[in-house]
Amino acid sequence: MLRRDMFSMTAAAALTALGGSRIQAQDAGMPKLAQKTAYKVGFAQTESNNPWRIAQTESMRSEAAKRGHQFVYTDAAASAAKQVADVNSMIAQRVDLIFLAPREEKPLVPAVMAAKRAGIPVILLDRRVDEAQAKPGRDYVCFIGSDFILEGHRAGEWLVREMKGQAAIIELLGTTGASPANDRHAGFVEAIKASPGMKIIAGQSGDFVRDKGRQVAETLLQANGAATAIYAHNDEMAIGALAAIEAAGKKPGKDIIVVSVDGTRDALQAIIAGTMGATVECNPKFGPKAFETMERYARGEAIEPWVINQDRFFDSSNAQQLIADSY
Amino acid sequence: MLERVAVPAAPPVRRVTVTALLARHGAVVALAALILLALVATPNFLSMRTLNVNLTQVAGIVIVALGMTLVVATGGIDLSVGSLMAIAGALAPMLFLGRLVPLPAPWVGVALALTVPVLVTGAFGWFNGWLVTRYRIQPIVATLVLLIAGRGIAQVVTNGNLQAFRNPAFQVIGLGRLLGLPVQVWLMAALVLLFAWAMRRTLFGRQILAVGGNERAARLAGVPVSRVKRRVYVISGLCAGVAGLVVIAINSAADANLVGLGMELDAIAAVAVGGTALSGGRARIGGTLVGALVIQMVRYILLALGVPDAAALVAKAGLIIGAVWLQRQGRVA
Repeated sequence: MLRRDMFSMTAAAALTALGGSRIQAQDAGMPKLAQKTAYKVGFAQTESNNPWRIAQTESMRSEAAKRGHQFVYTDAAASAAKQVADVNSMIAQRVDLIFLAPREEKPLVPAVMAAKRAGIPVILLDRRVDEAQAKPGRDYVCFIGSDFILEGHRAGEWLVREMKGQAAIIELLGTTGASPANDRHAGFVEAIKASPGMKIIAGQSGDFVRDKGRQVAETLLQANGAATAIYAHNDEMAIGALAAIEAAGKKPGKDIIVVSVDGTRDALQAIIAGTMGATVECNPKFGPKAFETMERYARGEAIEPWVINQDRFFDSSNAQQLIADSY
Repeated sequence: MLERVAVPAAPPVRRVTVTALLARHGAVVALAALILLALVATPNFLSMRTLNVNLTQVAGIVIVALGMTLVVATGGIDLSVGSLMAIAGALAPMLFLGRLVPLPAPWVGVALALTVPVLVTGAFGWFNGWLVTRYRIQPIVATLVLLIAGRGIAQVVTNGNLQAFRNPAFQVIGLGRLLGLPVQVWLMAALVLLFAWAMRRTLFGRQILAVGGNERAARLAGVPVSRVKRRVYVISGLCAGVAGLVVIAINSAADANLVGLGMELDAIAAVAVGGTALSGGRARIGGTLVGALVIQMVRYILLALGVPDAAALVAKAGLIIGAVWLQRQGRVA
């Protein structure tokens, strides 16, 4: 395994070196994409250990099949180093375009640059790379993803309406320093700012994980008996919080209102059961948007630096209809 | 055993110093101090519910740390416990959902889910012990194998997918209550008593201390060293399996990637803070319980006071360093 990786890396390095000397002359411009009916596209996934990632991969795969493109898939298994190697091996295979879901902001910059030098356009999905080093429109085509700030904002707006402007809120934050956690917090705070009755009385990280979300919620509920609402940065933590509320002898959905982000099947089931209030979708179905953007680029259209993937909103009014479509 | 050997060699004047006292009862003193602090600093601390929250959260660590205490007492260490929890957690839902074997009746699935995963992790524990005894691999390396591979196994078995479920009969071990206390707290208490009794009253307990205190002397005295070692790893595996079931039962979901993640460190910390020497030859079951409670109280207080997560980790590390320092002081005095 290791040896094969090493081989593909050296092969790719040699190829990029070759490509580098050839393409240097046109370095200023973005690689172009010829108009064809069928492309060979690469998708470098960062990991596939959660329902969201699995849904994302599935959406990409099925959309590629629907449009008749050849699909080259790699899974970096949560390692930035492996993802760089994956991209390099896609370059070696001469794919037409690479969809990259970069695991981390800085380590993946060299991969983006290597593809550019080899004349292969890159489209980033759901996370970004460091914009100080690689810019959309210059080094890669664009970034497609949700607006995390808007997600937090919508959750906040809903809670203000639901609680009629009066709530003592416990916030379960995502992984410290992760951009979805920072942005979902910022958006939420912005949305409740105008209502002086809405107060965040406690906030701690639950690491986007159900077990930790539950334990943190248990402790925070115990220390803050007055809490009337919980805002979780993802559904897994929110479901953990539901268990914590029940363990504290209160009724979720009645005594304490829960709102979160993601739109997983479990969360929709909880909304139908009346225990969870609402969840803002963080749409994993990138396929249609990704391939539509690719075809627009091939036609020579100017692509905006950030193509926003639309998120829906789930509450008791539509959870029942939409659950079949959830992941 | 170590103590008994050391006493005759010690100087005739034995002074009872403060540090020596602290070394002996440091964990209890620390726990008392933390509870006092919690009473003063955190709201609503003095209530049955607070007790429940803390005992529920600590039960998993204690159960794993009990097995770890025995392993440490033989001079070994078991890094694989967190991954073994993941394996147990991955297998149980597959069993009671009938994905592995067809079920004639629902109760069969529950019965299988409560036993088979624990036996499987026990078998993995035996594998750890086999590596340690048969090939004389250092325990930290031997159990590292399953720390890495074990989680991989759990992920392969489940395809890395989260398994969500609702099965009241199975989830009794995580959500049920008996006389007002959660079932897993009773389970923890029963295991603590069993282990304390075994270490104090049984031949096996004595043999563990003998092996940890001086392996060669124990072998020469006729103690079946390899068998004793294999057994403690099996016990550690069984404990990890039980803890894995408890965790997934509370959460109504098994996530192979996260169940038991970092548990080995919590368990070792509980053992160390509790006063069991990491060099072996001494086992303090009560100390391990107190050590786990100390860690839990630190976590609870920092959370309730709104101290960020990263700072809490540093505090935990500081606690372990303090405990080990106290132990060393105790040995010098």
